[in-house]
Amino acid sequence: MTDRQIVEAVKNAVVYAGSTFKDDKKNAYRRAIANESNPKAKWVLETILQNAEAAEQNLSPLCDDSGIPHLLLEVGPNAAVTGNMIAKIKEGVAEGLRALPGRPMGIMGDDSGRIDQSGGLNPDSAGVEPSPILIRQTHEDVVRLHIMMFGGGPAIRAKTYRVFHRHSTQAVLDEIVEWANEAVALLGCSPCTLAVGVGRSHFEASSLMVQALADGTYDKQSKMETEITRRVNESNIGPLGLHGDTSVLATFMKVGPQRASGVRIVCLRPCCCFEPRIASVELT
Amino acid sequence: MEQIIEINTPITDEVVDRLKVGDMVHISGYIFCGRDAALPKIVKMIQDGTLEKSVIDLNGSVIFHTAVSPAGVGPTSSNKLEIESSMKPLSEAGVKLHLGKGAIHPDTVATLSENNAVYAVIPPVTALLGARTYEQELVAFPELGMEAFYRLRVDRYPAIIGAAHGRSIYDD
Repeated sequence: MTDRQIVEAVKNAVVYAGSTFKDDKKNAYRRAIANESNPKAKWVLETILQNAEAAEQNLSPLCDDSGIPHLLLEVGPNAAVTGNMIAKIKEGVAEGLRALPGRPMGIMGDDSGRIDQSGGLNPDSAGVEPSPILIRQTHEDVVRLHIMMFGGGPAIRAKTYRVFHRHSTQAVLDEIVEWANEAVALLGCSPCTLAVGVGRSHFEASSLMVQALADGTYDKQSKMETEITRRVNESNIGPLGLHGDTSVLATFMKVGPQRASGVRIVCLRPCCCFEPRIASVELT
Repeated sequence: MEQIIEINTPITDEVVDRLKVGDMVHISGYIFCGRDAALPKIVKMIQDGTLEKSVIDLNGSVIFHTAVSPAGVGPTSSNKLEIESSMKPLSEAGVKLHLGKGAIHPDTVATLSENNAVYAVIPPVTALLGARTYEQELVAFPELGMEAFYRLRVDRYPAIIGAAHGRSIYDD
């Protein structure tokens, strides 16, 4: 790919991620609508799906919190990533945010000014910088970029903390369900997709959570994912917290290598009704 | 499909009297928009007496907890500290409907009731709301950018009454 082709491909991927439900997600909503017994919850689910159809048609934001771009780069055995390629990826993200358009919510100023927001807002949608790029290997001979747009609500309710497993997987699942019940109830933008990473450090657990979102699918759920989803749905939180059968659409979980210890580090992100807002693009 | 109650601004006490938790409503007319940054400033204007000298008339009004940006509008969590803590003084100053998302605390539910105001939950459907928004005016605090205090003219924004007359939909 030429530099311009990389920029254009990333730009289009940002717009897709911010405006479009993938097919497996649309199908998950259709199943939820068919199975929902609470009329108000059913109305909310139908309205969210109608919103997705309108956003896809207009290529406009699914949500006014268009999100912070999070980037996962997969690199094949014979592929090379250069500093220039990363620069072009960032250029593409900026162009995509302007095209979407993303919400101009980048904060300016020095360290203190960015914390207390006294540095003011950057009026440019492209003033929202992407998070640091996460890189992993793939067996495929490609460079593939996953772009995920992370909203603020799930960030408020997400949690990364230690769990004493007591040599029982069930103990860890019980803790995840407890965290999820609290987080989903407070989020307000359910039904959620729960993203879970289990690792050896807070960094690793968070990065596994991001990878879970890139790899997860609503069509195929593991036994642990199915159990978490089922148990949180039994809480009757429902869409927007208004009660009903559909608090969670699915769980995407990734378990990394673990250390010989009584502790697992778990990262849980209660992704909102639009997340994961994701697009994937090959750059080779 | 249950009946949808049409609400037009400014909202009277009689309209609020009839609203119940769980009612599905459409909101039309002029509404204000503010969130974490703007609402405490409006409250300060109420407290120091400058609001009544301004162009902002809160009597019978709706405040939508949202930013206003090129990306559109959509509810932020109403239980964020600076938003929820503003609901009491804003209700005392005449706001009749607070529009947002997420569970609010029992103390806030009680305060709304004391001031004959309600809280409504709106789905975060930015693409659909965009098609129902007809005017947009920056009213105060332009330095806050997307978090400034705006006024919109809207048609049939969909919502569900989440708290009214001392009851909350989250309590059931």
